Amino acid sequence: MTELSRSAPQVSPKLGWLTSQTQLVLLVTLFALCLLISLAAPQFYSVDNIIAILRQSSLVLIVAVGMTMLLIAAEVDLSVGASLAFAGVVAMDVTNKTSSVTLGVMAGILFGGGVGLINGLIVTKLRINSLIATIAMMMMLQGSVYLYSREAVQNKHLQPLFTWLSTGYVGPLPLPVVVTAVLFAIGYVVLRHTTLGRYVYAVGANEKAARLSGIRPARIKMLVFIVTGLLTGLVGVILCSLMNAGQPTAGRGFELTVVAAVILGGTSLTGGRGTLLGTLLGVLILKVIDNGIIILRWDQDLQMVIPGFIIVIASYLDLLRKKSNAS
Amino acid sequence: MQADRSLAGTPTEVSGAPAVTMTGITKLFTGVKALDDVSLTLLPGRVHALMGENGAGKSTLIKILAGVYRPDAGQISITGKLADLRSPRDALRQGIKVVFQEIALIPEFTVAENIFLEGYPTDRLGSIRWDRIRADAAALFARIGFDVNPDDKVGNLPVSKQQMVEIARALAHEARVVVMDEPTSSLTPAEVAKLFDVIRRLTALGMAVVYVSHKLDEIFEIADTVTVLRDGRHISTKPVSEHTHETLITDMIGRRIDNLFPRARGAAGEQVILDVEELSTEKLKGISFKARAGEVLGFFGLMGAGRTELAKAIVGFDPITTGRITIGGQLLQPHDTRTGKALGIGLLTEDRKSEGLMLDLSVTHNMSLASLERFSKSGFVSEPSEKSAVQAFVDRFRVKTPGLTRQIKFLSGGNQQKVLLARWLMRGLKVIVVDEPTRGIDVGAKSEIFALIDELASDGLAVILMTSEMPELLGLSDRIAVLAEGRLTAIMDRADATQEKILDAAIA
Amino acid sequence: MPQSLEARVDRVAPIPRLAAMFRRNETVLLLVLVALLVFFTIGSPTFMTTRNITNVLGQASIAMIAAVGLGMLVIAGEIDVSIGSLVGAVALPLVVIMNATGSLELGIISALVFALAIGAVNGYLSAYLGINSLIVTLGSMFVIRGGIYIYTGQKAIPDDLALESFYQIGNGRLLGMIPYPALVALAVFAVFSYMMGHRRFGRQLYAVGGDAEVARLAGYNVRQSKFIAFVLCSLFAGVSGILLSSRLGSAVHVSGLGFEFQVVAAVVLGGVSLAGGIGSLGGVALGVLILAFLSNGLGMLNLATEWQQVITGLIIIGAVGLDELRRRRG
Repeated sequence: MTELSRSAPQVSPKLGWLTSQTQLVLLVTLFALCLLISLAAPQFYSVDNIIAILRQSSLVLIVAVGMTMLLIAAEVDLSVGASLAFAGVVAMDVTNKTSSVTLGVMAGILFGGGVGLINGLIVTKLRINSLIATIAMMMMLQGSVYLYSREAVQNKHLQPLFTWLSTGYVGPLPLPVVVTAVLFAIGYVVLRHTTLGRYVYAVGANEKAARLSGIRPARIKMLVFIVTGLLTGLVGVILCSLMNAGQPTAGRGFELTVVAAVILGGTSLTGGRGTLLGTLLGVLILKVIDNGIIILRWDQDLQMVIPGFIIVIASYLDLLRKKSNAS
Repeated sequence: MQADRSLAGTPTEVSGAPAVTMTGITKLFTGVKALDDVSLTLLPGRVHALMGENGAGKSTLIKILAGVYRPDAGQISITGKLADLRSPRDALRQGIKVVFQEIALIPEFTVAENIFLEGYPTDRLGSIRWDRIRADAAALFARIGFDVNPDDKVGNLPVSKQQMVEIARALAHEARVVVMDEPTSSLTPAEVAKLFDVIRRLTALGMAVVYVSHKLDEIFEIADTVTVLRDGRHISTKPVSEHTHETLITDMIGRRIDNLFPRARGAAGEQVILDVEELSTEKLKGISFKARAGEVLGFFGLMGAGRTELAKAIVGFDPITTGRITIGGQLLQPHDTRTGKALGIGLLTEDRKSEGLMLDLSVTHNMSLASLERFSKSGFVSEPSEKSAVQAFVDRFRVKTPGLTRQIKFLSGGNQQKVLLARWLMRGLKVIVVDEPTRGIDVGAKSEIFALIDELASDGLAVILMTSEMPELLGLSDRIAVLAEGRLTAIMDRADATQEKILDAAIA
Repeated sequence: MPQSLEARVDRVAPIPRLAAMFRRNETVLLLVLVALLVFFTIGSPTFMTTRNITNVLGQASIAMIAAVGLGMLVIAGEIDVSIGSLVGAVALPLVVIMNATGSLELGIISALVFALAIGAVNGYLSAYLGINSLIVTLGSMFVIRGGIYIYTGQKAIPDDLALESFYQIGNGRLLGMIPYPALVALAVFAVFSYMMGHRRFGRQLYAVGGDAEVARLAGYNVRQSKFIAFVLCSLFAGVSGILLSSRLGSAVHVSGLGFEFQVVAAVVLGGVSLAGGIGSLGGVALGVLILAFLSNGLGMLNLATEWQQVITGLIIIGAVGLDELRRRRG
């Protein structure tokens, strides 16, 4: 055997992020989509519409930041949709009962974090496959949210501060978009430049190797589950504020959109590979498509069909990437 | 009885016409030639030994014959007719049976069902005849003389019994060629004798047998012809009678064996660094030993003797049931690699792919993993200082890589191994456990790894070497310990050790 | 470990031991089922009546048919979570074709062809292209459900002709006692239990799920086996969907929502390992019955239906957790 595989092309390290070309392809796709939709519907480029897309994207992106880390650590959480509905209900209920928006928001976020904690415990202690464990968690949350409240919890005291959470602006940008930008930046730095980020990649790329190197994979995974849970709780609160009510049915199918966006962004289902930049592009593409469906007045149920297709296609592309890498 | 007919065999041509001819076989993996223009002719009624070091290409050649891989170039003819072996099924249909080195059995099935996996006997309506499967399997074992219960679940059996099942399976159906890849790695001498008996009966009936082994004595006892491969190339094919031990070894490694083990270090120190007392796990029973600074303590054992289990227990990877492990005077918290690392013990795993490498990550990220704290302040990694440390090790170990950001999966096995070794040395250890450090590494890189191990010991580390390779054991160790079925059966100075003594203790 | 010859002979003899019997998963499940029946009989006077029991059996059969298919697929090492959407979707070709032609047979045939096509797509993507089957079928779960909504505009499509035969297949009873769906379930269960235990086909699924590489080395076509398991799983879900649609008397766009998880719960509760290669259809059948009686009994004790979802989730985690524990112990 020769010492080095000669078939592999040499790549300059500066262009490292482009090696797989995933991001470039996504960027081109995004521009092409925008172009096509705007040709058919010129109002696509209106400020209102762009803001609407960003607002929609921000909700998905917040959870996707956590989900990207989870997938990189070779786990997944499918309970985020059910969890955010429940978190919204809890947030609204606590706000109503205590008349304190702060307490309500905290309750919602902590509820999400609690769900994440339980998911993490089930996956790391009972060692149940996280796909199955979090599907079970999704069912339990969907059932128990009705046991908690039969119908939507309204904003009884009409707290304006509560609605400001989703409709307020910081300068020209909606508050949720600003919050998302901050969280995204934190997530980006953590994944790229901290030991914790390194450990997340290491645990996902090879859990046994990570453990042999003195890392405790269970702790890393717990942490990422909790972070995802907290972010989910936050989105639950924002969504609740947007609807001005805690809806037990909110967030149906949300988990699929998030996972589809993350996988589309080039994060591998098998762990160890992925970037938040890719996730950002994945979210934007999905939300632009959603927006196109609405402004082109297509059947809104397509919003359910398209992520379904995309998640399968994106997984297939991931598989092809891995194969072309391997040989 | 079906099994009767198959082990009895339908006599094929005992004439000189080859059963199988492989010509000009070439196989590439990630652009590297695992096999380069290799030819092999198998005659009916003959035992053809295939020899070579790890990574020489034996397993690849066998897997091509078994239909697992398809060659990139070359032809295979079976009894003179060109054959295209697209899948294992094609090879089985052509009567090529393989006893794989890695046990290829379904753990949830019984012994009997595993034996008839390739073709269940059925009644006229197509229902499986379980009674017949059990009876035939029992009869088959009785004829071979192996003591295996056909009703046991394979997953519950020790490796040696699984190997017997694997062998029996190849004999249950009619075959033209039987390939045995290291079939005796965990058998006792008595069982090996029974196997040889069976092989002689098979060849008497005109079957061609391919026999792969590292054990020279076995080759001289059973083989008619020997083909040696080295680095994927055909080196020689001769009748075994024209070979001596020395000529075979020279063919296999291409140079004299003593050059492989340069010894630069002096005598071992006196200070005990690793002290293992009465260590027991599910697999191990009451193991005690001490290792000193600057010494290489070699552990030998047959497959399933417990080497890897011992390695994983003393670094804190696996849980233990009883015992104490002390490193540099401090007690190791069992089943916790984090304290193990803090106390200065690390493991270079035998299974690089599944326990060592993070294939998708870069050389840098692979190497710095265990010592990231050294390069980081309040959790932020300082990439410049990390990079310079990694570059220093790449230079010192002569790791061949086009760049530090290269994904490690593109490096050769030897270079990957150097990166993993550097992962620990970068951190600075007191004890390093190396488990089969040269598995799947070509000869050139092997001697470099040996030199590095020697260097480590001379730097004052205690090196625990787990190996199944006798030359490696004798060439590197200061003291030699032997494991058999989870027990420590002998511990001796290198000067007192002989192959016979070691093997005796390993079989005990 | 060297074993004495006497000990061996003793072990070869097929004497069923009580301890060994209790170690069997099916025995434990049977005891759980009996305990449940006793508990609910004491707790509710209307539970142990012929009417209630046959009712539960009728409901359980629809899940049972799908569970046999899914059980085989999971044994082969794959999973399909799109069966709930499929159960809802097959009602569309069934009712639409039936309304158009007035023929129940044509309706059933088109429903089954539809199910086979879905199974073939899932199977091709998972078995031949190698995409994780959970992702593939999660995707098709949403695509199919979204497709139903788009086609129906989120409304039920009624059975315009009100064919008696259509009503009968889901609601009729043999001799006024045994619901037809129960007969179908029994037949499917009997045939495929035999297949799994006594035909090459079944052993092949076990081998493929147990260790795909070993199965390949033994000459099996792994991809084909898995593909067939996908197709059968969808086919049986289609049969379940036809019977369910007959009970509902129309094609209901939300029918089958959450059905996949009920069936997955029954399968893992029945002792089939999600890792593949382990489990039996007998266990699956007991798993279905336990869940059906549990849900019926809880309803009779006036517990909110949402509790069933919570309990199903707990059962999945409990059953999979136990399975993990068992495998770690070896």
